[in-house]
Amino acid sequence: MSAAIIFGLLLALMLTGMPISIALGLTVLTFLFTMTEVPIQAVAMKLFTGIESFEIMAIPFFILAGNFLTHGGVARRMIAFATSMVGHWPGGLGLAAVVACALFAAVSGSSPATVVAIGSILIPAMLKAGYPPRFGAGVVTTSGALGILIPPSIVMVLYAVSTNSSVGALFMAGVVPGLVLAFLLGLTTWWRAWRGGFPRNPRATWAERGRALRESLWGLLLIVLVLGGIYTGLFTPTEAAAVSAVYAFIVAVFVYKDMDLRDVPRVLLASANMSAMLLYIITNAILFSFLMTSEHIPQTMAQWLLDAGVGPIAFLLLVNVLLLVAGNVMEPSSITLIMAPILFPVAMKLGIDPIHFGIIMVVNMEVGMCHPPVGLNLYVASGIAKMGITELTIAVWPWLLTMLGFLGLVTYWPALSLALPRALAMMR
Amino acid sequence: MNPLNLAGRVLDRLEETLIATLMAAATLLIFVAVVHRYLAGMPIPGLQDWLLHIHLSWAQELCIFMFVWMAKFGAAYGVRTGIHVGVDVLVNRLAPARRKVMILFGLLAGALFTGIIATLGGIMVWKIGHTLQVSSDLEWPMWIVYLAIPLGSGLMCFRFLQVARRFNRDGELPHHDPGQVEGLDEPMDIAPGADNIHPLAGGAK
Repeated sequence: MSAAIIFGLLLALMLTGMPISIALGLTVLTFLFTMTEVPIQAVAMKLFTGIESFEIMAIPFFILAGNFLTHGGVARRMIAFATSMVGHWPGGLGLAAVVACALFAAVSGSSPATVVAIGSILIPAMLKAGYPPRFGAGVVTTSGALGILIPPSIVMVLYAVSTNSSVGALFMAGVVPGLVLAFLLGLTTWWRAWRGGFPRNPRATWAERGRALRESLWGLLLIVLVLGGIYTGLFTPTEAAAVSAVYAFIVAVFVYKDMDLRDVPRVLLASANMSAMLLYIITNAILFSFLMTSEHIPQTMAQWLLDAGVGPIAFLLLVNVLLLVAGNVMEPSSITLIMAPILFPVAMKLGIDPIHFGIIMVVNMEVGMCHPPVGLNLYVASGIAKMGITELTIAVWPWLLTMLGFLGLVTYWPALSLALPRALAMMR
Repeated sequence: MNPLNLAGRVLDRLEETLIATLMAAATLLIFVAVVHRYLAGMPIPGLQDWLLHIHLSWAQELCIFMFVWMAKFGAAYGVRTGIHVGVDVLVNRLAPARRKVMILFGLLAGALFTGIIATLGGIMVWKIGHTLQVSSDLEWPMWIVYLAIPLGSGLMCFRFLQVARRFNRDGELPHHDPGQVEGLDEPMDIAPGADNIHPLAGGAK
């Protein structure tokens, strides 16, 4: 009963268009004021202690690092490198976009940031080279979603925090699925370009490739630094994030010199703005999950599903559908924070691996971002490509189908995600 | 300029400077702590002894405190920049008059929530202020640390009211555009042609 009231209230408040964090907070307050004996004082306390964890602090650091990388010329050099390697195949620049998105995803933790970094350079370039507008916009919108699957990933940190899983293991579990998805998106791109007879770039010589590699090396080294550092235990994910923020700052300002010291305060402010927004949703979502736990809602739901005879396969399908629907109206961080605490206990009861479940959620979020009506990637890309959302929706179709197929693969083949972290002994 | 406007400007600036500074300081702090940990492990005569004397075990705690303050005041700044998004698919389909009512309702709900939290936080800080509770590593009095809640939420409440008033008057909402790209305004040119594959050599600004 209380579950129905809580969710009904939350849904009603959210549909009024108020910020999601406020809707979450007001739901909790209303419920506490009217229906329980939980001391209301605990709320203010929870708003502080909720984010008092060093793990969560990885998020502001990764956002800062991402902003330095986006504005600091790292993306340009990665694109040049990717173009020199795959540009001579059919749909060369499209393939280069996929590869560049995968590379940039490995240093950035957010999908819209990846779309911005790669798309704002490659979409105009593709138009100029004579590709159809829809092709360029479609490829970047969907490949940008790799940002949250290939580590580091802000959504993975959020999942880890709300379910007490290991950030490191999640990061490693994202590597293989990320590479597979990049390959599949590349394949789709290649096939479309080959059928359409789109232009190719001349083949780059090995000397040119070497030079492009050398120029992008500073950005590529960051991948080694973050993943290698976390894997060898050199530092925790949060420390890795802080180190990569400082590293990205040094590369942008002193090595590539694409950014002035004068620009730094603006980047700091923009990063603080974005981080504070996420942290504010996190505190209120933690408040919300505290309410649900104290009302035993996840446990009741788990029992109910088990009694109804829902097995792991049906449950995962249900999760896929639920998350895709949620992805239509909300952005990934909020979905993860609201849904993970509810779905996680059920998944555990059904014997699904916590890390695998995390990857499933992340891939669902990816599809949701490229999916109308509210795909964050769609919005960002439509701004860059100067293309309406409706047309862009048609443009992403071929890649979106590939992603849906991939979602099925990830959902029902746990080894794809779990083999690497197991081999690295980061999980049992 | 009238004094009220001036006070508003000063408050805006203060808010921006505070959160940007906290962001930078926390990053540097954790970076230094990591570097310190590894340098102290290296057998460099002199340097090692000196580094072992410095303890940075409080770095994590300070980083958390800085980020919590950054989050609370940054959330208030976020209201001003319109970064707190909601589910607006339904609202945007309403007739303009109704849409206005709904948006005002949302803004006032935000003011209500943050106002309640500021009050509750104030009461909590007051109570903790009468105890001797200190933080575990830095041993700072906790009530000062917790002050972020009433101050930050209070400011956020003020920002919601400010935005609501301006929206009611001019119909303008702050809007955050995730697609804006500063510093990337000149798109790179990679048209087919071998010499364009490395436009960076001369093209980097």
